[in-house]
Amino acid sequence: MSDIQPLVIAIDVGGTFTDVILVDGESGRRWIAKTPSTPSDQSIGFFTGLEKVTGQAHIDSALIRRVFHGSTVATNAILEGKGARTGMLVTDGFKYVLEIGRHDVPRKENLYTWIKPARPVPPRRIREVPERVLLDGSIERSLDAVATCAAIEELKKMGVESVAVVFLHSYANAVNEKAAAALLAEHFPEAHVSISSEVLPVFREFERAMVTVLNAFIHPQVSRYIGGLSAGLKQRSIDAPLLIMKSNGGVFGPRQATNQAINMALSGPAAGVIGAGVVAKSSGHLNAITIDIGGTSADVSLIRAGQPAMTNESEIGPFPIQIPTIDIHTIGAGGGSLATVSDYGVLTVGPQSAGADPGPACYGKGGKHPTVTDANLVLGRIPEYLLGGEVELDREQAQRAIVKYVADPLGMDLYEAAAGILDIVNNNMVGALKVVSVEKGYDPSEFALIAFGGAGPMHASELSRLLGTKTVVIPALPGILCAVGLLATDLQYDYVRTCLQRAPEYDLELMRRVFGELLTLAQQGLNEEGVPEAQRRLDRLADVRYAKQGYEITVQLPMGDVNAESVSLLVEDFHQRHEQLYTFCDREAAVEIVNLRIKATGIVDKLELSTVDSCNGTDAKSRSTREVFFSDRGFQTAPVYAREDLLAGHALKGPAIIDQLDTTTVVFPREIARVDAQGAIFIEIDHE
Amino acid sequence: MNSPEKTLDPVTVELIKGALQSARSEMEALIDRTSMSPFIREKKDYFSAIFDRQGRLISGTRVPLAGNLIDCILEQYPQDDMRDGDLYIYNDPYWSKGAVSHLPDMVFVAPVFARSELMGFAEAWGHLWDIGGLMPGSISPDATETFHEGILVPPTRIYRAGQFNEEVMRMFLRNSRFPEMVKGDLKAIMASCQLGKRRLEEIAERFGLEALDAAFEEMLEQTAFSLRTALNEKVPDGRYRFSDCLDGDGHNDQDYAVSLTMEKLGEDISLDFTESTNQAKGAINFKMDKSVPANMLGLLLTGEDTSVQMNAGFERALKSVKLREGSIVDPVYPAAVGMRSHTMVRVTGSLLGVLGRATDGQISAASPVYVLYYLRSHDRLRGSYELCIEGLGVGFGARTFADGIDAVYFVAQKNYPVEFAEMEFGVRIEAYRIHKDSGGPGAYRGGAGIIRDVRVIGDEAVLGLRLDNVKHPAWGIKGGHAGRPGRVIVNPGAEDERQLRPMSDQNQLRKGDLLRIMTSGGGGWGHPFARPEASVRLDVLDGFISSESALTDYGVSLTRDFDIDVEATRTIRAGVCSDGDMFNHGEGITSKEGLLN
Repeated sequence: MSDIQPLVIAIDVGGTFTDVILVDGESGRRWIAKTPSTPSDQSIGFFTGLEKVTGQAHIDSALIRRVFHGSTVATNAILEGKGARTGMLVTDGFKYVLEIGRHDVPRKENLYTWIKPARPVPPRRIREVPERVLLDGSIERSLDAVATCAAIEELKKMGVESVAVVFLHSYANAVNEKAAAALLAEHFPEAHVSISSEVLPVFREFERAMVTVLNAFIHPQVSRYIGGLSAGLKQRSIDAPLLIMKSNGGVFGPRQATNQAINMALSGPAAGVIGAGVVAKSSGHLNAITIDIGGTSADVSLIRAGQPAMTNESEIGPFPIQIPTIDIHTIGAGGGSLATVSDYGVLTVGPQSAGADPGPACYGKGGKHPTVTDANLVLGRIPEYLLGGEVELDREQAQRAIVKYVADPLGMDLYEAAAGILDIVNNNMVGALKVVSVEKGYDPSEFALIAFGGAGPMHASELSRLLGTKTVVIPALPGILCAVGLLATDLQYDYVRTCLQRAPEYDLELMRRVFGELLTLAQQGLNEEGVPEAQRRLDRLADVRYAKQGYEITVQLPMGDVNAESVSLLVEDFHQRHEQLYTFCDREAAVEIVNLRIKATGIVDKLELSTVDSCNGTDAKSRSTREVFFSDRGFQTAPVYAREDLLAGHALKGPAIIDQLDTTTVVFPREIARVDAQGAIFIEIDHE
Repeated sequence: MNSPEKTLDPVTVELIKGALQSARSEMEALIDRTSMSPFIREKKDYFSAIFDRQGRLISGTRVPLAGNLIDCILEQYPQDDMRDGDLYIYNDPYWSKGAVSHLPDMVFVAPVFARSELMGFAEAWGHLWDIGGLMPGSISPDATETFHEGILVPPTRIYRAGQFNEEVMRMFLRNSRFPEMVKGDLKAIMASCQLGKRRLEEIAERFGLEALDAAFEEMLEQTAFSLRTALNEKVPDGRYRFSDCLDGDGHNDQDYAVSLTMEKLGEDISLDFTESTNQAKGAINFKMDKSVPANMLGLLLTGEDTSVQMNAGFERALKSVKLREGSIVDPVYPAAVGMRSHTMVRVTGSLLGVLGRATDGQISAASPVYVLYYLRSHDRLRGSYELCIEGLGVGFGARTFADGIDAVYFVAQKNYPVEFAEMEFGVRIEAYRIHKDSGGPGAYRGGAGIIRDVRVIGDEAVLGLRLDNVKHPAWGIKGGHAGRPGRVIVNPGAEDERQLRPMSDQNQLRKGDLLRIMTSGGGGWGHPFARPEASVRLDVLDGFISSESALTDYGVSLTRDFDIDVEATRTIRAGVCSDGDMFNHGEGITSKEGLLN
């Protein structure tokens, strides 16, 4: 993978648009295309985009040497409950593992009105089989093959396409699960099989079962989808590796993506964070909080020392999904968020959204209720058109909606009401920004705020002021940062196994063995993708906690021998990390090692980001002016710049507006915006 | 109804509301991540709240518990004696007049100052693993005085102007069988209050005290308004009575009733609990703060409106709440209170009952109280204890719009994963199932309880049990049947099979014994014949109900292949379909069958 590959393409499928970027690694030239997403079959949009961009570039697509792809196929299958008909084999006595779950009403819900979300597999398609593994991995009862075959026959009769196998304590010994998988392969070869000891060999059976079941649930669909892409690429004579975005910020090839489809489930916003990471590095802000604001939601994440924060505890829809994932917090706040006033007179914004259809009132597509976009339009923050004029926005409609549904009921004037809508949605988004920063022990004043997505750049300054970050960074291509991020990904695999070690007796021999086994798996994975030795990186990690604590912190264990010294370094690292995250550490307390992990990376050569020309001391020229409302000053006349006119070194004094194809940046009064060599905009925030 | 005069613009109110929620979320995140005991770290028995300077709850977790957590501190420590950096703790249900309702729940309160003026309080509480008392875990059906339930801490200043009082901590921890674990939790919750304090200071800095006071008042009024509106819409003027009975207190074979009369005249609504049974000898007494029924009504009736904060505004919507000293909901010190949730659930039941009468059944059916068991062993030579406390879910009552929730405990409280329980408690869990046919049949089915099979693998253990709704199952409404009772069996199917009293302690278990706990189901709503046939069939296939119940309760006849026998079903369902009584109390298992006492 280290040979020079001039043409690389990245195709990112979003909710509304499929974004494509094609880069010539030699000349640094790039071409960008946007095409509507095709939710019923995302590959249509994929190939439309591919053809559109290669057409623009006038190149032969056969010359493409690498294809990066971010897809929401897995995510949508789960969220819409439209996966395969899935069956499940479980340990005798535990058929209701999914149904009972953790037996709680979620903390933010009302116990009198909450309805338990339907599980991906109902109990009627779950069969219990006699077998039992104990806590220490010993086999109390081997798998009953006769009963298992009978159960498999029943699942077959039910028309199941995919089967999950989840046995108790299988993380400690997978023999029984593997025996069940072998019987399934023999008697039900046409079914896909996911076993929990392969998908997520860590303790806590409900969470492990959920991930395994979801993997089985989406497998057939993801498999068909990836098969279709591969065939389509071949048809177009594109003989390049297809690299698919994972939730952990890395990519994987078609084979692994098919078997471990669950790793794609939270990949949507992950590419954007990687893209923001590229901007963070090139701009010298290695610590950054990122926010991607779209039509219905905002995705928030944190980058520290150039690395995105990771978590092992995510959720997809109502389900826990405990696989390594970039730590992204999502809230229902975006351009389409609806502003509503209750009977009493409480103004709330979101999480309900007008979506793309009917969309905000100003789209004139029948939306009657005011949204954040309507407020931005009324206040002059955004122009009266979108996509460089492709879509007209109706200011009258926006005003009417705000007056009728917000200003009048609250006795406010139009502009106060519109500004109030923005204040509230910004406040909500700051809540999310705090979840990833202050709630994790980070001081926002030591971070830059990188804002992107269609609605990010117009809210960024206000968010920064409220959060306490000192600098805002608007990437050069804020509307397609996910596609840009794809180009910067590496192959990345995580291997994990529960291996509980209680202080002070750490079983070093056992830890060596488990790490050894995980390492072998990791090397196999890298071999499968053909990663040469020189491009491999292996990291050893452990999930550690104080005895009796419920959550683990992942810390690094240097490569080399596992001995008393390396373990004591690991423990010390844990104390420090604990203090940083949770305000205290306790060096007297016993420390437990819970899970061992290997992170395997196959480094993919990176392309240089293109640069913009220097302004050579000239001033930026505005194309027009606009009246823009700012809360404490009323309407101000602001110069309007076109993003493509801005050159490296340009400095703009606020108030100013910078329009570009798919977003608008608002520079507030007293702020100065500067453009760097990569074309990113920096705004220093005045916290007075 | 016209909304009252506003003193602050709605945008600022909403901004402050959001900031308070964000502060609480940070406080809870900190407890979640740093606590030590299984009760807090896995079960998540902790909550946070923000109060104004007068001690009124402004924003709390949406649980129907007491709101007046600050009053008892202010009585002990006047406002002008409070300093920045103080922290107060207590767990005394009597001193606090029911603000805290049993001893393991330790309350932590940090007063917050803005420009040296008291502006409010950051509060959090958590259920501690053991604070002494009769048995490990501090709660026992055998307890008959609070002195059997651990150490009582009246409002006590554990930090003075930032200075930690080691002596108080030392004395307190000396009273716990698990001092290290309790210390870990105390640290986590105190850190959380201090964090909440810092956030409130920042909020005061950002908005100013005047705006804050106005916003607090506004948030209280919003909450009051929403409950008043809901009551006005749903409850016609009149006088409604309902009694909901507990099985017993583990000591007497006697019914304990929470009896409620609700009177509504225009906007005046009063609740009168004075006819409730006298207090019990056993630990089911509920020292009820008067905010509790208001909060229950609030959450019940304003559930759909997410802009409503859980706060003291709910109390404003009620004219009065009357209690009688010496009754089960207003016991006299030192009556034992460890299992007050049994009575609390019946308070909810009585509220649902009067609302059922007032609305012609347009309200949820009753839910049973959650179940706990305590498995302890004591190594006398080493002086060490092993303690396993597990909370088990039940089936909740069916709603007017949906089935009752199956296998659920409470808001925000989680079970122990089987793999975790086996790792920590020296037991083996051999089954964790749905308790078939336990949900009350109805057009909307009551939630089903669970079955948990626990094998004792240690040498011996002493078992405490608390399971209610056996004699008096959760009632059904509007044609829905009552939920079916749970029970507890040792060594089911074996020669030495025996049933245990559902509310009992000192049950001796030996190595190899299998303990089977079957929990109760919720009441159904509406006549079961009105339940769609397809739903009945799926319930059979999924194991929530049996084919027999489908036939006898729901009038749905299934073939051997579980297809619906359309003809037979139509005939049966065409037969009887009278709604009968508004409430169905079911057939509990009575003491005559030897289960209770």
